[in-house]
Amino acid sequence: MTQTVDRPVEGETRPMTMAAAITDALDLALAHDPSVVMYGEDVGNLGGVYRITTGLQKKHGIARVFDCPLTESGIVGTAVGMAAVGMRPVVELQFGGFMMPAMDQIYSHVSRFRYRSRGRWKTPLVVRFPVGGGLGLLEQHADSPETYLAHTPGIKVAYPSNPYDAKGLLLSAIEDDDPVFFFETIKNYRDPKLRMEVPTGYYKIPLGKARVAREGSDVSLITWGGMVQQCETAAAAAAESGIQCEIIDLRTISPIDLETILESVEKTGRVVIVHEANLTGGMGAEISALIAQHALYSLEAPIERVAGFDTMPSPFNSLNHFSRPEAIHIADAIRKVLSA
Amino acid sequence: MAKSSRTTSKQDATFKGSVTETSDLKPFQILASDGKPVREDLIPDLELVETLYRKMAQMRYLDDKFFALAKQARLGTYAQFGGQEASQVGSAFALERSDYLAPMYRSTAAMITHGWSTKNAIMYWRGHPEGWRLPDNLNILPIIISIPGQYVHGAGAALGAKLKGTNQIAMTYIGEGGTSQGDFHIAVNFASATNAPCVFIIENNGWAISVPRAVQSKVDYLMRRAEGYGIPGYLVDGNDVLAVHHTAKQAVDDARAGKGPSLIEQMTYRIRPHTTGDETKAYRTEDEANDWIANRDPISRVKKFLELEKRWNDDREVAMIAEIESEFAEALAAADAAPAPDPRAILEYAMVNPGQNLIAQQAELERRIAAFGGAA
Ligand SMILES: Cc1ncc(C[n+]2csc(CCOP(=O)(O)OP(=O)(O)O)c2C)c(N)n1
Ligand SMILES: [Mg+2]
Repeated sequence: MTQTVDRPVEGETRPMTMAAAITDALDLALAHDPSVVMYGEDVGNLGGVYRITTGLQKKHGIARVFDCPLTESGIVGTAVGMAAVGMRPVVELQFGGFMMPAMDQIYSHVSRFRYRSRGRWKTPLVVRFPVGGGLGLLEQHADSPETYLAHTPGIKVAYPSNPYDAKGLLLSAIEDDDPVFFFETIKNYRDPKLRMEVPTGYYKIPLGKARVAREGSDVSLITWGGMVQQCETAAAAAAESGIQCEIIDLRTISPIDLETILESVEKTGRVVIVHEANLTGGMGAEISALIAQHALYSLEAPIERVAGFDTMPSPFNSLNHFSRPEAIHIADAIRKVLSA
Repeated sequence: MAKSSRTTSKQDATFKGSVTETSDLKPFQILASDGKPVREDLIPDLELVETLYRKMAQMRYLDDKFFALAKQARLGTYAQFGGQEASQVGSAFALERSDYLAPMYRSTAAMITHGWSTKNAIMYWRGHPEGWRLPDNLNILPIIISIPGQYVHGAGAALGAKLKGTNQIAMTYIGEGGTSQGDFHIAVNFASATNAPCVFIIENNGWAISVPRAVQSKVDYLMRRAEGYGIPGYLVDGNDVLAVHHTAKQAVDDARAGKGPSLIEQMTYRIRPHTTGDETKAYRTEDEANDWIANRDPISRVKKFLELEKRWNDDREVAMIAEIESEFAEALAAADAAPAPDPRAILEYAMVNPGQNLIAQQAELERRIAAFGGAA
């Protein structure tokens, strides 16, 4: 049964990590719709470097889940062509940092294919990839390139923070007739702290609807993806000194749920925006502008942004925690907006 | 190129890949895998053979040590080159010290052959800023992780050297998987069009992580593409260091003589996991790697040859190993003694002239350092 719910209300559930929930969604999508195909580097036989597609080739056949030549531009560009002729490609790029070779296809074609043909050709495709740092991996294995996509017209961007959302958002993304980019935080994949009961059935979470991850009246923390967990840690620490943080988990940064953001800002009057991508021109800037435009008079302090520095994410293993926003840095920003 | 009657297709290429086999090309060899010469006429000075052997032995030791260190978390993720010593040492050894090298993540042996120090290599793979700084007296461009940016930089460095009239050339490396990227074509074609002195090396080690060579293309040998660029293409037994060196030297000499770029495909094999995070059992049999180790090892091949020539014996071997071990231990001790990195390194080199954004972020970095109770 297909249901659109904010929390599982009925049916069977089982405990799942982020990784398991994503695999489950892919498995269901393959069974649900024969036009769904999955391909990328190492996704077929190996199941991807993070083993998200493990078992899917065996179960659904090599014509549905397969390895392809090493070329991101090729992967995304062929997905455009496939989607045009009626397939639903759900392709994987090995890391978010390796999206860039495909950027020409994304910017010039994924974004405009439907518009360019006045609706004659659609691009119902999904591009998934692991993102985010904190693990001391090599360069370009810790990036979070959502801003480039949010700035590109015509596409949607989902960036889930927990297993339940990941599964529901991914099933929505695959059914959606617009192209959707789906971000998977590496650090969250198998984090036992994020393991939760997830419905085993097919369910969807709408793209464009944020989630209030924690209610509070003093400060709004606006965030997404792996940073939600960091905000929760910071909020728990703040609560000990009597500060009530509200956490808005955007779930999708394109489209953005302005209504939920404004509701929270009007309540708290203080805002901290947290993202892993570097500061300048990041999504924090867009969200700040929206708040300034629609809720300036509700603000009681300048908006704070906690983000990566304007360099590549730290490639220096022992220094990563200075570069990637952590709960301790968020706590600092919370103090700042409260003392303003 | 060979056609039709000799062309066979083993399976549907759509999903598993299959190579259109033709029989007119065989990898060039000077030494057979048993160490016996197949081209007596091309055996170089034994002094050179011994030097290449020693370098390869040193590299195998280093590669295994790096793997062990990574497993103890004394190194970060590391991309082993084990099995590809001849392919990297033999080719990089053909360069002059002042030539440019544009490496990829698996090029550690080529880089050390070109003059990078073991200590620096340890520091780099440790994720230490000091290791990221390539020595000023070495023309090695940054190690590229995003496949295959370095190929295009190599073409550009070669063209720059040509325009400056410096007589330097560039050499760059790619894996067989990387040849599927647009930038592979762009680099080789650009160098072809501009007659840039660049030596393009394909290390065909059979695998792109879990993806076999056949998935990348139906073509039997990737060097055939040279014909399409109008430049020389060479197919070499990449585990025969003499063949690798001979061919690379030819390409280097041609480039320096103004004859433009070459494309060399070195047939080799990655006997180790893709990186320290990889599990080979998930995609290939142990027999496959063991066969290469037992029958086609690049190091024992030269050793056998040197023994046949009475240039090598157990005593020399023991002495060499002792030397390799102590040299490595010294480098490791020096790397271990280096102070922990200063977090301020994060914002260094971001811009030559930092803008206000970066200046403000320096203050933010100081706050983060203070939040963690001072430097690392
Ligand atoms: C642009 C880009 N896409 C994906 C990757 C991830 N990746 C790292 S190594 C690798 C396989 C490369 O195989 P090959 O080119 O044969 O080189 P090898 O690792 O075998 O030396 C992949 C897909 C990457 N580093 N860069
Ligand atoms: Mg390879």
